[in-house]
Amino acid sequence: MNIKRTLAITKKTFRGIWSDKAALMLLLVTPALSIVVFAFGFGGDVSHVRVAVVNQDQGYQIPPSRVRVSISGAILANLDSKVVEVDEVATEAEGVKLVKSADAYGVIVFPKDFTRNVYEKSLDPSLSLDTTIRVKLDKTNVNVAGVIREAIGDALVGASASMGVEGTATLDTSDAIYGEDATMRDFFLPAIATYILYIETFLMVVQAFVGQRISGSLARLQVTPLRPSEFVVGNAIAYSVLGLMQAAIMLTFSVYVFGIACEGSMLLAFLVIGVLAVMSLSLGMVLSSLARRSEQALASLSIVALPSFLLCGMFWPVEAIPTWLRPLSYVVPNTYAINAARDVMLQGWGIGQIWLELVVLAAFTVFFLALSTVSLGRVKG
Amino acid sequence: MDKGSGLETGATLPRSPTGKRTPMRDVRTEYAAETKNLTMLFGKFKALDKLSLRIQKGIIYGLLGPNGAGKTTAVKILCGLLTPTDGQAYVLGTKVPNRNILPQIGYMPQETALYVELSVHQNMELFGELYGMTSKKITEKEDELLRFVALEKWKHSPVANLSGGMRHRTSLACSMIHEPRLLLLDEPTVGVDPELRSAFWQYFNALRQAGVTIIITTHYMDEAQHCDKIGLVRQGRLIADGTPRQIMKETKTTNLEDAFLALSRGQETS
Repeated sequence: MNIKRTLAITKKTFRGIWSDKAALMLLLVTPALSIVVFAFGFGGDVSHVRVAVVNQDQGYQIPPSRVRVSISGAILANLDSKVVEVDEVATEAEGVKLVKSADAYGVIVFPKDFTRNVYEKSLDPSLSLDTTIRVKLDKTNVNVAGVIREAIGDALVGASASMGVEGTATLDTSDAIYGEDATMRDFFLPAIATYILYIETFLMVVQAFVGQRISGSLARLQVTPLRPSEFVVGNAIAYSVLGLMQAAIMLTFSVYVFGIACEGSMLLAFLVIGVLAVMSLSLGMVLSSLARRSEQALASLSIVALPSFLLCGMFWPVEAIPTWLRPLSYVVPNTYAINAARDVMLQGWGIGQIWLELVVLAAFTVFFLALSTVSLGRVKG
Repeated sequence: MDKGSGLETGATLPRSPTGKRTPMRDVRTEYAAETKNLTMLFGKFKALDKLSLRIQKGIIYGLLGPNGAGKTTAVKILCGLLTPTDGQAYVLGTKVPNRNILPQIGYMPQETALYVELSVHQNMELFGELYGMTSKKITEKEDELLRFVALEKWKHSPVANLSGGMRHRTSLACSMIHEPRLLLLDEPTVGVDPELRSAFWQYFNALRQAGVTIIITTHYMDEAQHCDKIGLVRQGRLIADGTPRQIMKETKTTNLEDAFLALSRGQETS
């Protein structure tokens, strides 16, 4: 190996990078930005998870004292408020409804006379009294379900110890509102499939657009009667067909080859992922029409890919992201696609429950297509 | 300095290479292209410096000058691909940029600017369809143009498999498929062998006879002999404009290369 020739290549590469300040900025800013988003967005723990509580326990006045105590109240007070946010409801049906509308991840039910039963059973363990706290969970989100179980378990142990009734009350988490047999793989697949398609479609479009600009064919088309809107929609149709084919292959392999759960309609799951693919290609068109060189277009990938990777709810729920950072999650289109894909595949939801996510994705698509039309109209030569 | 050899409205039109008569509808101006004090800045670099041109209809006009003189910039402004920093440009009587004149313009850029993954036929079909031509018309015109650029055998070959010269010829054919009234050809003869280059000029002459105006940029001074009129450009300025013969006469030279050098020296001293 000739060191001079080798270093000549190194120098040439550095000069190329240095000449494109915009791409260089993106390359240098992105790692810092990603770490900031990761550190604030993740923080290691799931937090601020909403849980419905049905408390039928009226407390108990332990004789001969006149003081009324409530073990259920003590357990709730012991719950780590950073992890679990309690939403008190009157009936179990109401709590389940909250879970089904995605407003809570589980329902905690304290039976009637819970405090009295626990107290009396602590004196006489042979008594057949209901001292079980039933926790019905949405188990499709394996991470969140585990965190709720742990938080209630810790609160129960703490409250029982402070009231001298250790080991009497029990926790039953066997009931599931969704995801009876959900595994980690089932939980992550809809999100991963959605994300992979998002990136692949984006890259496919960026590569094609930048290629046309570099070859000069894009400028040449601008000297024909072709309108920017016709160029954008024409491309969108072609790449949508490719994106939808990729979505179909991905879904078919997941469900029929690897046995990933799909509780809802396969067609609806396909529609969700397909709409995301179309959205992603329209985003790709916007960024490629803005980029002057391939390096800039590819550097924009890191801006598109990393924040959405960390903020879209793939690994931890959006509710667990700090409030100040959460608005960013809602401007990441992937958040809606992953939500909808999980709702259909894991919870078996229908179009009536996920239409809003589809509308948001469609709105993003229209917005990006319009933006790329305007942007291409301005870009000359 | 001189007059072009443009056809007047109502004149008997010779047949174009397609065998069809080319109608001349625009009577608003005698100029196919006109620029007034055209100035173009790229950052601090002045690519065009108050360039004023008048190109009559139905002539072959050569825009000559060394690399970086501003020829391509001028052509891009006439196509509507660039908006000038100052000054105005008119094409077929319409101020550019303007979408309405695009169907009447044929543009061949300096770079190949083709879809290399597509075949010669597919590229020509694409451009034909963009101009709203029927399949029948595209086929007719394509066959004729491929004969002219000697690429009939390569009709179904991907452009990626063609040599540089062949790609250039394909690009030229694409720019002419819709029978434009004004052809803007940016260095069309680069990479073309002498025999084919001669055939190109014969064809350009035939088009001119049919009433098509052709604006050609080139840095080959010898090619300028084929033009009815030429404009010599240096550092974004027009340093001479007229027939090749007139320019040589005025500079007391025997070829355009010497004429250009003489004019350049004159520009430096002034």
